[in-house]
Amino acid sequence: MNIVQLRKLSYDEVAKCNKCGFCLPSCPTYLVMKEEAYSPRGRNAITRFAIENKLKLSEDTERSIFSCLGCGACTAVCLSSVKTKDIIFQNRECEVDEGFYPKIIDRLVRTLEGSRNISDDDNEDRAEWLELIKDFPEDAFEKEHAEILFFVGCVASFFPMVQRIPANMAKILQNAGVDFTILGGDEWCCGFPLIGAGMPEKLEQMKEHNLKKVADVGAKTVVFTCPSCYHTWKHFYKTDVRLMHASQLIAELIKDKRLTLKKEVNLTATYHDPCDLGRNSGVFEEPREVVKAVPGLNFVELPQNRMLSVCCGGGGNVEMTDPDLTAQVAQMKLDSIKDVGAQMVVTACQQCVRTMQTRAKRTKSDLVVKDLTDLVVEAME
Amino acid sequence: MDNKELAERLREIAGKDYVLTSDMDRMLYSYDASLEKAIPDVVVLPNSTEEVSKIMSLAYREKIPILGRGSGTNLTGGSIPVKGGIVVHFSRMNRILEIDIPNRTATVEPGVITLDLQTEVLKKGFIYQPDPASQKVSTIGGNIAENSGGPHCLKYGVTSNHILGLEVVLNDGTVIWTGGKSRDNPGYDLAGLFVGSEGTLGLVTKAILKLERAPETIKTMLAIYETIEDGANTVSAIIAEGIVPATLEMMDNPVMRAVEETIKVGYPLDAAAVLIIELDGMPEGMDEKAQKIMEICKQNNVREVKLAKDDAERDLLWAGRKGAFGAVGQVRPSYLCCDGTVPRTKLPEVLNKVMDISKKYDVPIGNVFHAGDGNLHPLIMFDERNKDELKRVLKASTDILKACVDVGGTISGEHGVGLEKLKETSFIFCENDIEFERHIKKAFDPDDFINPGKMIPEPVCEQ
Repeated sequence: MNIVQLRKLSYDEVAKCNKCGFCLPSCPTYLVMKEEAYSPRGRNAITRFAIENKLKLSEDTERSIFSCLGCGACTAVCLSSVKTKDIIFQNRECEVDEGFYPKIIDRLVRTLEGSRNISDDDNEDRAEWLELIKDFPEDAFEKEHAEILFFVGCVASFFPMVQRIPANMAKILQNAGVDFTILGGDEWCCGFPLIGAGMPEKLEQMKEHNLKKVADVGAKTVVFTCPSCYHTWKHFYKTDVRLMHASQLIAELIKDKRLTLKKEVNLTATYHDPCDLGRNSGVFEEPREVVKAVPGLNFVELPQNRMLSVCCGGGGNVEMTDPDLTAQVAQMKLDSIKDVGAQMVVTACQQCVRTMQTRAKRTKSDLVVKDLTDLVVEAME
Repeated sequence: MDNKELAERLREIAGKDYVLTSDMDRMLYSYDASLEKAIPDVVVLPNSTEEVSKIMSLAYREKIPILGRGSGTNLTGGSIPVKGGIVVHFSRMNRILEIDIPNRTATVEPGVITLDLQTEVLKKGFIYQPDPASQKVSTIGGNIAENSGGPHCLKYGVTSNHILGLEVVLNDGTVIWTGGKSRDNPGYDLAGLFVGSEGTLGLVTKAILKLERAPETIKTMLAIYETIEDGANTVSAIIAEGIVPATLEMMDNPVMRAVEETIKVGYPLDAAAVLIIELDGMPEGMDEKAQKIMEICKQNNVREVKLAKDDAERDLLWAGRKGAFGAVGQVRPSYLCCDGTVPRTKLPEVLNKVMDISKKYDVPIGNVFHAGDGNLHPLIMFDERNKDELKRVLKASTDILKACVDVGGTISGEHGVGLEKLKETSFIFCENDIEFERHIKKAFDPDDFINPGKMIPEPVCEQ
């Protein structure tokens, strides 16, 4: 995208920013970096200056525009409802066209186009996590046809720290007697990282492939443990198939008494709203219903929850381009969890789990970080 | 000294990561929440009084303009570096140094966000009263510079009534303390002079603030009116009755409509205006007072008075009020907020004039303001990109301030003079008044390099 196109697409929206600054304290990167360049207002100003030909894109604008976590908290507090995240991602397309983007993104694109996943592993190994489940025959979950398709996502497929999440989900679905399957090596990355990378046009081939596979399986519902896959399908795939996040399906199974949580978990726990599940997709209550269905658990809310939830630091490809920034944002998150006296944080996203768990480990914190599926399996057994 | 050398010297003081010189970074400190813009030569983010002192003395020796900045929410251009030079961004100096409950004080650095302090002290059952609508982002340093008000200032007074002591870096880098934890200090009331000086006399690096016990009971009412006059008359009638509510805020129809686009407060969109009336204090006698207020509302043709049932309802009423400025962005992308004050009995007359001005210049104007103080905030809505419209807006703004002065009011309630109202100072000050202000500025800053060009118009012969 060039500046002329950006002007056409974003000028009216960015002009709505009247620079009141109310977004500043909602932005995790501003809170950490304390410079205007890392604030939503600053990023909007950059886009506007660029559109008005007052500022050229450069390595400096790249630093600001590519440090946005894409969490959307700024729009949630903005009284003019400026769609700052969308403007920033459109600006990223311009930065990419002018060559100002973190070069690590080139590797990401090569990997996605070559291996069809983000970790450059052989895509056939997508179901490696099945090894974590001993009780079932290896091909139990790779059926030709099924009611529900479980779309696993790249991170949970390939990152050992969170491979337990799809394993949990399979156990839960099996336990509730749900007819489901996975795509295994036929699952391709949903394309989410390409949006944050400023190359949304490259998402098309991923989308076409994945939608065809859903049709082949004849699934009426696709379920996701990854909020970002869920969000990408919901907003970019334009399909009539029912899309559900795992938390929604699990809440439904509990309501229908197909799943019972019996085992007590005697801890004080809070829930962290993943940005792409909560604020960006509007799923707030179902994960809470599931957490509260666990016997023995003492539930406390974080002061900033639901629409105002603070990002864990793992969004917007920032973990890849600026890991220090991610770590500092994650630390803020852990501090806020500690402040409410929680021993455990439950979330519903493998990326949030990774970010918070990594930080907790690095700082030798005894905070327990769990995915919602971890908690359900624990209470189920 | 060229800019490169200046940046190098500043890096030696504040560290290399905390000096910003790129075109982009400088442009990002060229604006605040007003319509003014000017690009600084360099931005520095100090971490201590000592660093601020060294920065100031460097600027003093080299005669480089310098100004302090908090969150950049200023509405009159106070944080715009009109003469270039150094912008000192206080975002790193954001520590609450002490909360001293027995002495009811808090000592803070200037970059502390107002609401962050308020949240902390409330945990201990105390309140720092001044509550500008921007409290969740504004900083204490900025509040001091502008002598910020807010809805609760009707009962509790503005920022100057809550400052006990200040640590200030003077023009040559000297650090002084004025006032302190004790309530009555001998000598000149220098703290009083610094508060509201719009950052033109020195840089505040620490402040001792007064805390008060949080009220035991709060009652918040929403009174709905068919005409603005009835609402405004209610305000005068309540005060005349001898009741001082914690707040008496008014919002007119255009502003309510804008707010409802974003936050669903449930303001009545067919009404002309609402008042948010809040009582606070001891539970004893509160119901009677609320009853009395409701009677006064009825005598003034109120359509309906609603009492907030719980904290959630109260918070919602306030969220709408405090977000009103930003919300007008739903109507037009830009706004200019006028800030004039009139004797409260003159409110109906002036509000009618504001509507006439809106028609005359063909620009929509919404009103949301501290009615109890007679402090108007007409919001003129427009699109900054339309130069013709911008011209009409600026004329309308001047006319509104003139209308305030004509009925015995003044040109600022709390947003200051800054750049935007320099010309309008002639409405209220005679040349002697302004000349005396120039003397004071000269006593602190003879070289005129601390936030130059603000608050005091230059003598006519030099213009």
